[in-house]
Amino acid sequence: MTFDVEKNLSAALIGLEKIDMRNMPVPELGPFDVLVNVKVTGICGSDVHFFKHNRILHLEVTEPLVLGHESAGVVVAIGSQVTRVNVNDRVAIEPGVTCRTCEMCKSGQYNLCPHCKFAATPPTHGTLCNYYVHPEDFIFKLPDDISLEEGALVEPLSVGMYAVERANVKPGDVVLVLGAGPVGLLTCAAAKAAGAAQVIIADLIPSRLEFAKTYATDTQLLLDRPEKGEPNFEYARRTSTQIIQKLGQQADTVLDCTGAETCVQMAVLLTKSGGSAVLVGLGATTQTLPVVDITVRQVNVKGVFRYCNVSPVSIVRAYPRAISMLTKGNIDVKPLITHTYPIEKSQEALLHATNGSDGAIKIQVINDQ
Amino acid sequence: MSPPQGEMNQCVVLRQKNDIVLENRPIPQLAHGEVLINVKATGICGSDIHYWLHGGIGDFQLKAPMVLGHESAGIVAEVGPGVKNLKVGDRVALEPGVACRMCEQCKTGRYNLCPEMSFAATPPIDGTLCNYYKHAADFCFKLPDHVSLEEAALIEPLSVGIHSARRANIKSGDRVFIFGAGPVGLLCAAAAKAAGAGHVTIADLVPSRLEFAKNYCTDSQILLQRSQSGEPNMEFSRRMAKEILKTEELADAVIDCTGAETCVQMSVLLSKNGGSVVLVGMGGSVQSLPISEISSREVDIKGIFRYCNTYATGVKMLASGSIDVKPLITHTYQLQDAVEAFKHVKEGRDGAIKVQIVA
Repeated sequence: MTFDVEKNLSAALIGLEKIDMRNMPVPELGPFDVLVNVKVTGICGSDVHFFKHNRILHLEVTEPLVLGHESAGVVVAIGSQVTRVNVNDRVAIEPGVTCRTCEMCKSGQYNLCPHCKFAATPPTHGTLCNYYVHPEDFIFKLPDDISLEEGALVEPLSVGMYAVERANVKPGDVVLVLGAGPVGLLTCAAAKAAGAAQVIIADLIPSRLEFAKTYATDTQLLLDRPEKGEPNFEYARRTSTQIIQKLGQQADTVLDCTGAETCVQMAVLLTKSGGSAVLVGLGATTQTLPVVDITVRQVNVKGVFRYCNVSPVSIVRAYPRAISMLTKGNIDVKPLITHTYPIEKSQEALLHATNGSDGAIKIQVINDQ
Repeated sequence: MSPPQGEMNQCVVLRQKNDIVLENRPIPQLAHGEVLINVKATGICGSDIHYWLHGGIGDFQLKAPMVLGHESAGIVAEVGPGVKNLKVGDRVALEPGVACRMCEQCKTGRYNLCPEMSFAATPPIDGTLCNYYKHAADFCFKLPDHVSLEEAALIEPLSVGIHSARRANIKSGDRVFIFGAGPVGLLCAAAAKAAGAGHVTIADLVPSRLEFAKNYCTDSQILLQRSQSGEPNMEFSRRMAKEILKTEELADAVIDCTGAETCVQMSVLLSKNGGSVVLVGMGGSVQSLPISEISSREVDIKGIFRYCNTYATGVKMLASGSIDVKPLITHTYQLQDAVEAFKHVKEGRDGAIKVQIVA
């Protein structure tokens, strides 16, 4: 079956806070490729960062770049050797295509593949478009009872699940999550699903904590901002002491979903001896840490980069496991979807995600073409 | 770089059970991501012998003539499109099983369990006992200059050892017991030592094998007896294990490289509480095990199937000298004498351990 693609309306980043809706070419379908009519795309903090700054660290947007990587859609064509999906299947897209041949890929840590092509990370175009070509081993069929909107949240949910895996959350654990944005909230949901007995979330913004009260958390902590001129580490120590007093204990594990230096420091200070402080948020490249807690109290500091595999009993891929968590109400991601925009209004969607107004948590772009 | 023109590609072909011939076959054309290897050294494995004598192993049955051999190393003769990690002239060890790289097993790092695995000399995939073999470049591993191709050909059975030691979770100071002192058992001993095992005991029926083992990566050796006529296996195993424990302590890890039911049973009995038994040898498909010991003493049973993510490790081990495989190479033959080589391995004469075919 040949499929003639005439129009591929895409949200291309062409400058600072400037999106141009334009037709982009659709790559040729290889034998193992799938052509997806993208229907729903969530906006991520990284899309916002590229939108605002046209760069993240050393990754610069120098040519028009289609944004978006949290997507779900419908299969409209499959390559000659595709066996995993059929035309008309509703699917979630795992956005990072790895080389499959390097040591990282072969050993299962494919998130660390140095040759990964990740949607909306320059120079790879993202999924905020009409038609997207993607290899079948990074495409997952959605169960009938999971909507495409939920399918588009599998991406950040996978981050949460992989973070919980890295933190080694065990049944009965006390888990503290710093940052109540979508990633923090989904990390809480994943921690609950992993059997955490108590999930505590902390944030600067009262409205975020209001929401968190209704979503996968047992305790919410309002952090105040550092005093004027207060050095980060003093703030971190002061705040950690207050939190330990309030909770009566440290946490078995702390997952930082902010990237802020103060929070990274608090993550270490607030982790029980022998536990792990897990860094999900990406902030400044160099930060100061309380090394004495890392050594003397054996608090491990572990980074998280996207997701790969998790090991409940054996070892399974995070993405399809996240999909199966959506069925039977194990994890409900629908409450996180607060706003939607049609794809023609991608610019407005990104501006909204940038200013976070109106209690925005997850903003999704809907493509009805 | 043009492919070798008009050169012979002599192959050792198993036409059917008990029928090995040398055939000249075309030099393969390279697809994307492949290299052409001028094969220089190939070890003969028990599975090659088994295919020769029985025409199949379990579900894998010979349906058409097949080239034998899978323990190889050679020199890159040609590089196909898209290959970036190798160039002509590179000396490489060949990891014989090419996985699909796309399925769940591959993506989770356990590509040895890939359902679409193409493994050299497992029907219907042709093996490496030839002059020119084409292979996926990402399954070829460049060798440092001081590691010979003969040694590199042993990375294949060494990989079984490395994978077994990992599955057994052997750590420094551990006590390891190994059943079977053939090449696989010996390389498990070497891998155990490389993992820091404090004491390695090896057991076998054949005294000459234990004589060799005395000087190769083992600290004590046990001569096993055969069971008495009519003695049920479990009784023999309990009796023999009791005997062994007069001079040996319970082990942190027991690795069975025989597949014999009695050895598998003894493996459980000789394991410490909380220890691990790793089943490397492939014997009867259904076997009786002492379940009461497995439960009440929490002795874990883990199978292994080939290996994954071991070749780079094997190259590092040979390069640093932390494992020396050279003593295991006891006999070599030229390709044209392949049938003699196979007979030699089958007869096991002259203290044969690893017999290689070299070019």
